[in-house]
Amino acid sequence: MTLNPSPSNSCRFGGCTLTGALSVTSHVRDAVSVVHGPKGCTHHNFSLLHATALDNDVVHIPEMFSTGLAETEIIFGGEEALDRTLRSVSRLDPAAVFVLSTCAVETIGDDVRMVCSVPRGIPVIPVPTAGFLGGPFQEGVNNALIALAGMAGPAVANGGVNIIGEKNLEYEVNENFAEVVRLLDALGLPVNIRFVHDLNMDQLPRLGAAQLNILRDPALVPVGTYLCQRFGTPYIPSFPLGLSGSITFMESVAGACALDCRDATEKERALQEEMFCDFADLAGYTICVNPAVTDPDGLRKVLEVADALKLDITPSGCPVPLPPDPPVGIMGMRRMLHRWRRALHA
Amino acid sequence: MKQIALYGKGGIGKSTTSANLSAALSLQGLDILQIGCDPKRDSTRMLMHGNFIPTVLDLLRERGEAALSINDVVHTGFNGIRCVEAGGPEPGVGCAGRGIIATFQILEKFGALSGDVIVYDVLGDVVCGGFAMPMREGYAQEIYLVTSGELMSLYAANNICKAIRRLSMRAKSRCHLAGVICNAKNEPREEDLVAEFARRVNSALVQFIPRDHIVQIAELNRKTVIEYDPGCPQAERYRELAARVMENTRFTVPTPLEIHDLESLAIEFM
Repeated sequence: MTLNPSPSNSCRFGGCTLTGALSVTSHVRDAVSVVHGPKGCTHHNFSLLHATALDNDVVHIPEMFSTGLAETEIIFGGEEALDRTLRSVSRLDPAAVFVLSTCAVETIGDDVRMVCSVPRGIPVIPVPTAGFLGGPFQEGVNNALIALAGMAGPAVANGGVNIIGEKNLEYEVNENFAEVVRLLDALGLPVNIRFVHDLNMDQLPRLGAAQLNILRDPALVPVGTYLCQRFGTPYIPSFPLGLSGSITFMESVAGACALDCRDATEKERALQEEMFCDFADLAGYTICVNPAVTDPDGLRKVLEVADALKLDITPSGCPVPLPPDPPVGIMGMRRMLHRWRRALHA
Repeated sequence: MKQIALYGKGGIGKSTTSANLSAALSLQGLDILQIGCDPKRDSTRMLMHGNFIPTVLDLLRERGEAALSINDVVHTGFNGIRCVEAGGPEPGVGCAGRGIIATFQILEKFGALSGDVIVYDVLGDVVCGGFAMPMREGYAQEIYLVTSGELMSLYAANNICKAIRRLSMRAKSRCHLAGVICNAKNEPREEDLVAEFARRVNSALVQFIPRDHIVQIAELNRKTVIEYDPGCPQAERYRELAARVMENTRFTVPTPLEIHDLESLAIEFM
């Protein structure tokens, strides 16, 4: 379990469309990302991705290049600069090149797609990411996932399950993944690929082989829909969140894969009971939560846990921290309860 | 130093008017700089005897700013008139407006913006902040609208009035509407219509220039009318224009018309 603090006002997902797309493309480990714009767009995002990875105890240098546009390219168009950069990047022989656009090039109307369509012997994948068009971080994530999925062809079914759109910048990305794996394992389902987390391009052809896609959260529904149309793979719209959410998740997965989950859900309920015993010392405390920091649905998942532990919630209670996203599975709830215990015993 | 800019709908005759105005002013013994602010780069061609001079932006692209000097961008044409073309990207790519801004920065750096009169000849319409550059930052202080009596031409002129009004409200701005030049299509009652338009936008018609075949003949001979046939009536019109521009003291904040007012004005003079 990560010992990192999890500040509830973390703004890791509030950034630019470009940052969202890079949080995906930089996780295709044998690909490179070319940011078509002034060099600052690359620099700031490189710093953010690098620092975030370090914070998550991952030493990884994102492979990013800038087309380094300056005033001359803004006046005369930046297509030549992009072509030049793609030619030099191709010589590094990456497994794929993502080309991400920026505000400046979308404003002057560079035809990024046309430059990307020139054959270069490696896949060149354009992702529209100009932040000023109003798309949030999540739109960049979705655009990048859909662009990459468009590179995968049909595949022979292998019975596995894909994990779609993990929040690569969140502190608990691997812990949350581990919870999903645990629940899938209880149902006898293997993970096919993590799309996209620590992915290599040679795994991509397996994207369409899964029998089910599990989305990190409902904001990824456009990606789920796209994958369903392209490969016919159904999707579950969210990770297992909180108590009843985890059980519902297992039932939905089992339903989609035509499995009997009664034993597995019984065992999960038993594990949840065990968790209640471990945190029984919290019973009877009065707490208060700041509902502004999480969405109403996420708040319900949290209040359900508080109820089950017989905590009283009143505005005058002891303030307890809420995770920026609702807790995933038992480990997520345990992390949250540990923090509550610290706050209550402080 | 007087700085004037000519704005108007594309194809209305801004470059012809500008070049003949510059030529006429230079014959008054004035030191003239004409700056073409249009990627088409043909504003100064008749002053340069049909030659396209290298544009500031082409030179910037080919050689880089560090390698440029004032002599690369300023070319001397008819009667010592100094000519500059801003130039711009190939049609369909890049950002021509940003190019105009870059051109002004380079001309400022070289100290090229000097003389008795600077004439800015600006592309079609004020399409963005870049093409408003001649009016911004205190460059052109006197704006002339070039229009015919056709509705679309008046419509463009009216839009430019909106830009002038907006820019003239800025604290540091010194740009005002100096008048309307009617470059006629020889439609009936055209002079009256344009004069009335000028009045309604709080300005005045400074010169009526009739349509005359001599303009085409002069241009086929790669000259301004002033140079090709100084004795013809059309040349006299341009000299009158030059004299009125120099005497003009009526600079106003325009009052642009609503579209239906503009249309009913055009109908009145049909």
